Amino acid sequence: MATARPVVSIYNFENPSEKTGTMPMPVVLQSPLRPDLVREVHRDMAKNKRQAYAVKPKAGYDTAAESWCTGRAVARIPRAPGGGTHRAGQAAFGNQARGGGMFNPTTIWRRWHRRVNVTKKRHAVACALAASALPPLVMARGHKINQVAELPLVVSDGIQSLTKTKQAKEALKKLGCGEELQKVIDSKSIRAGQGKARNRRYVKRLGPLVIYNEDNGITRAMRNIPGVECAHVDRLNLLRLAPGGSFGRFVIFTEGAFKKLSDIYGTLKSGAPKKKGYTLPRAAMANADLARIINSTEVQSVLRPKMERYTHGIKRNALKSKELMEELNPGSTERRAVQLKSSQKGTPEYDEVQKKKKARIEESKKYNKEHKKGDETFYKTLMKAFEAKAAADAAKKAAEKADDEEDEE
Amino acid sequence: MAERYAISKVNVPEGAAVPELVKMKMEKEEKLAEEKKQALAAKQKAREEERAKLKERTVAYEKEYADTAAELVKLRREAKLNGNFFVEPEAKLIFVVRIAGIMKMSPKPRKVLQLLRLKQLHNGVFLKVNKPILNMLKLVQPYVTYGYPSLKTVRELIYKRGFGKVSKQRIPLSSNDIISDALGKHGIHGMEDIIHEIYTVGPNFKQVSNFLWPFKLSSPKGGFVNKRHGYCEARGGDWGNREELINELLGRMN
Repeated sequence: MATARPVVSIYNFENPSEKTGTMPMPVVLQSPLRPDLVREVHRDMAKNKRQAYAVKPKAGYDTAAESWCTGRAVARIPRAPGGGTHRAGQAAFGNQARGGGMFNPTTIWRRWHRRVNVTKKRHAVACALAASALPPLVMARGHKINQVAELPLVVSDGIQSLTKTKQAKEALKKLGCGEELQKVIDSKSIRAGQGKARNRRYVKRLGPLVIYNEDNGITRAMRNIPGVECAHVDRLNLLRLAPGGSFGRFVIFTEGAFKKLSDIYGTLKSGAPKKKGYTLPRAAMANADLARIINSTEVQSVLRPKMERYTHGIKRNALKSKELMEELNPGSTERRAVQLKSSQKGTPEYDEVQKKKKARIEESKKYNKEHKKGDETFYKTLMKAFEAKAAADAAKKAAEKADDEEDEE
Repeated sequence: MAERYAISKVNVPEGAAVPELVKMKMEKEEKLAEEKKQALAAKQKAREEERAKLKERTVAYEKEYADTAAELVKLRREAKLNGNFFVEPEAKLIFVVRIAGIMKMSPKPRKVLQLLRLKQLHNGVFLKVNKPILNMLKLVQPYVTYGYPSLKTVRELIYKRGFGKVSKQRIPLSSNDIISDALGKHGIHGMEDIIHEIYTVGPNFKQVSNFLWPFKLSSPKGGFVNKRHGYCEARGGDWGNREELINELLGRMN
């Protein structure tokens, strides 16, 4: 949007390979693209041409039916009264009954139409016009514009004075719309669905929309060409500019119409002269190039540097992995090696251990010699108790034996 | 911090025109790469110093453990020699394991278990032995088993199942840096420091024990005897204080 307005060539309608002039692009055609807005407005606007439909108010209820209640071995649904005819006693009223009314009957007082804010509608039209100036969007919508010289396609005013359809068709073909027109003709097919029986038998694709300023015969010349539609620049319809809610219609402007766009819509500063209180939509972001913004020096200079993520990896068990044990417990491999050496014969560590062992055993022997000799050792003191008892028992036995011998004698 | 700069290399084909933004980016990355190199060198130096100190401390700790064990032996022998009784020092450290599941927990024991950070079956924590802790354990006796871990048990638990609480996340203790960053201000810079602090219940026991995420142990290989009953009951059971014999259980659960 900060760039200068591009210049659009005007093509001679009789000889489209030559350009009769140039014109700066109106600001409307540089409006921000808002597909969501166009879709929304189109959805609501499209509802406004609907005709009401409903079932008859009395449908299904035009009987004097009453329930027979219980006791007559029939369901309790209301039944048609009387006799003498099949209808008598048949169920009525319910949606389940044959000839009964429908569930939730459709009504004419359904809210068929939608109101859309005027500004919203105008913004949508501006948006749709802008989209029709962009070849990728027009191609995406399905139009065949490979032979078209330029978008937006502006043609000299002479085309407005065409009266014959043949001439109009020629002019369009010369402008490069031949493929487009052929596409429309080829696409004519019978509509799927009931519409075909309701006077909407055929469907076909849409072709170019010709926007004119003065109708000197152009509408009547173009109206029988399949797919081509005409619109006066003062009365642009979103339903034509963005059919089905998708913007990017292939639009052909006449010189007068193209010039008038600037008169109608004006610029962002001036507002729209012909639309009271209306200014063209502004973009939400003045500079929408995010990559450029992010990588600009203004932004990058205030950022801290990008950091590597902490990765903890899979937990390993230090008791199993010697590497990890060394990492966590520095010097452990060394100490372990020394420890292992001490069980290998011939190494100084082994000798060291053996020396200590010897000293320990010596110590122990010395201790035993001192403390565990004589009568005060554990075993001796233990046995002393037994010996004492044993001696007492022996003495007792001897005494008894002596008594017995005495008695015998 | 500069060690962690993420430097992205831009591959410019030979002789290609370099866009302005790409050129700016390349210059910036060059400067950052230089800073990073210097920071890494400084970090490497600091790391080597730290490791040397840690090595010294570890040797000192091993000597300390051996000395205390030898001292106890000496005292026991002395007592026997003199016909006295040696009163074994009371345990300073206990390891508690939650035995009960989550379902149907009364509110009071449930709260106490939460306070002890035993929120899951077979979770274990190290605790200091003091009056308040003993009283708390009294409240949750039937739902835990606990005892006095040996040095071997402490080492194995911390090396195999040691995770630390780093910004509220459970981070494996795969490097001494993690420990140093979290506990450096208490003078604890490595695994052996943690083990020493825990085993000897040092002045920073609380901080170290809290740094350690509750241990998530496996179910014991060979099973429990009977979780419904107490360890000390005649009919055989598992809950409560099993003193030294916790080491046998932890050997099967670790």
